[in-house]
Amino acid sequence: MILKTPPYLKKGDTIGLICPAGFMPAENTTVCIETLKKWGFNVEVGKTVGHQSHYFSGEDAERLQDLQDMLDDPSVCAILCARGGYGCSRIVDEINWNAFRKNPKWLIGFSDITVFNNHLYQKLKTSSIHGPMAGAFHKAGGEDAYILTLRKALSGRKMSYKTEPHGMNKFGKVSGPLVGGNLSILAHLVGTPSFPDTKDCLLFLEDVGEYLYNVDRMLLQLDRAGKLHHLGGLIIGGFSDCKDTVVGFGKNIYEIIQNRVAPYSFPVAYGFPVSHEKENVALKIGVVHHLQVTKSGVVLREAK
Amino acid sequence: MDRRNFLQKMGPLGALAAISVPALAGDTEPVRASGHPPPYLREGDYIGITCPAGAIDQRDARYSEVMLERWGFKTRFGSTIGRRWQQFGGTDAERAADFQQMLDDPNLKAILFGRGGYGSMRIMDKLNWDAFKKNPKWLIGYSDITAFHCHVSRCFGIPTIHSRMAGGFGSQEDQSEISLRNTLFGKPIQYEWETTTFNRPGKTQGILVGGNLSLIYAMQASISELDTDGKILFIEDVSEYKYTVDRMLINLKRSGKLDNLKGLIVGGFTSIKKEDIAYFTMSIEEIIYEKVMEFDYPVCFNFPGGHQQPNLALKLGMAYELEAIVSIAKLTEVRNAFPNPPLPFIDSIAIPHSPSSNL
Repeated sequence: MILKTPPYLKKGDTIGLICPAGFMPAENTTVCIETLKKWGFNVEVGKTVGHQSHYFSGEDAERLQDLQDMLDDPSVCAILCARGGYGCSRIVDEINWNAFRKNPKWLIGFSDITVFNNHLYQKLKTSSIHGPMAGAFHKAGGEDAYILTLRKALSGRKMSYKTEPHGMNKFGKVSGPLVGGNLSILAHLVGTPSFPDTKDCLLFLEDVGEYLYNVDRMLLQLDRAGKLHHLGGLIIGGFSDCKDTVVGFGKNIYEIIQNRVAPYSFPVAYGFPVSHEKENVALKIGVVHHLQVTKSGVVLREAK
Repeated sequence: MDRRNFLQKMGPLGALAAISVPALAGDTEPVRASGHPPPYLREGDYIGITCPAGAIDQRDARYSEVMLERWGFKTRFGSTIGRRWQQFGGTDAERAADFQQMLDDPNLKAILFGRGGYGSMRIMDKLNWDAFKKNPKWLIGYSDITAFHCHVSRCFGIPTIHSRMAGGFGSQEDQSEISLRNTLFGKPIQYEWETTTFNRPGKTQGILVGGNLSLIYAMQASISELDTDGKILFIEDVSEYKYTVDRMLINLKRSGKLDNLKGLIVGGFTSIKKEDIAYFTMSIEEIIYEKVMEFDYPVCFNFPGGHQQPNLALKLGMAYELEAIVSIAKLTEVRNAFPNPPLPFIDSIAIPHSPSSNL
């Protein structure tokens, strides 16, 4: 598959800011907007930012229109989703990708935005960025090292991340396209046209606020759907605020994952900085990366 | 050429070979023929009780033992009753072995599950269904047990019973238990219930499939994926957020599972959780109706089944007539009805007693 990489950004380029899913108060986007301006970009604030329709940042039609306008506007070079929550899959099949196909642009976000990340990869063969959104800027400030990885990714420089050794890591070296994101959303995409072909890919997973048994069930769902059988490698990020049932599951999250992928020989890296917490780096979906898991740690490096 | 035509052109041997390969998603055609029920029970028949998912105590299973014996059956407790490993009724291996032994035991005419919870899916691929296919017996349960309902429906087309389980029996026979007793003795199902005004009126016939929405969802794209084409779909769920219900239904819709239904029956959606921040203001009825608005098959809500009282027994995999009018719905079992689409070679191997049955 030939992957389309949207043009990287230059100073003076415009980034569109939208809320395609859950509601976010406008004041929570100010740090993000100021930071993007400080980095030399113009910011086009979409109608859905600060807009609210109950749970969502607008009705389906409003969220769709805001995203569609940003996709179709040739002066917008990238689209940063301010927040996830829930709502992308309610509009993904209504999007008209014609203008985007001619002029691909970077789409940025994680959590519920995993819908777009994987849909773009699988259906439009186009890369996007799994990375920090407005809430992360709001909490950590624009100078935070994890936030700055987004700036680097947008500039077109090759990405490279190192992490400390983790006792459960399974060693190996492998190259492949990077796919993945939020586990609940990947489970949600199973059986739909948006689920990525994971063969020989490096799959990364993170989640938040799930029950332990449900994490097990979702992994089993991916496995029984054949999505883990031919992976190149697996990268496990944070699973924050996981909940347990009254009678405990008896294993922690990483043990659950380890148990589920025990039959496979691909390398597995635990504790990678991709999560709903501060530790969440920018990752280019679909782009070929090298993954090295050794006793000295983990290196994930964008291929030359 | 699509896969089905390809299989038909290859003839029976080709179809068999193609299907018997240990399969991942998409490698199997769903079994379309249904309606050959396992033998109904007579007094003196044995019912096994096992826990393929969550654990129950011996004490909790006692009510079901007493009641089944009052109905004239004999019961046999599996080794997983009263066993506990974490939240499960034993380790995966123990639960699989206990269930397997009951599937293989020709003396058992039905298997009543202890409870749902979580865990059926963890043992699914460890089970050998050969004996069950030759001598089908009733599998009885709901909630997490929907994993087995889906698998058996998709792979073998053998009817199963969606109903209350051993852990839910009480000392006095109630409506749920009476409906199960009647079903086990072969009394045709005929229910009429009051619905909500969200009904989409109409009359339809089809094979009933379904169960717990979360589990139907968890089977997606696997070998156990539920085939809903031309079927009446039943769904129920418990303790989910509204947005999660919405998300699961969007998954079914985006994967085409709601496109070709004959009808939709919605059971209990109970103990729905509230979102912390901004409420998802659509009601469950609105969330569901929105997904099927564009179609014209009958839709009816409020079926007395699921995580609620009563939880009336439903034979899945069998043909029914569903009639929805403004505020009332009727579900009536259709005897001797095998509305099969023309798939001769695949259908022929789905008949449980067929010697070539090699799925």
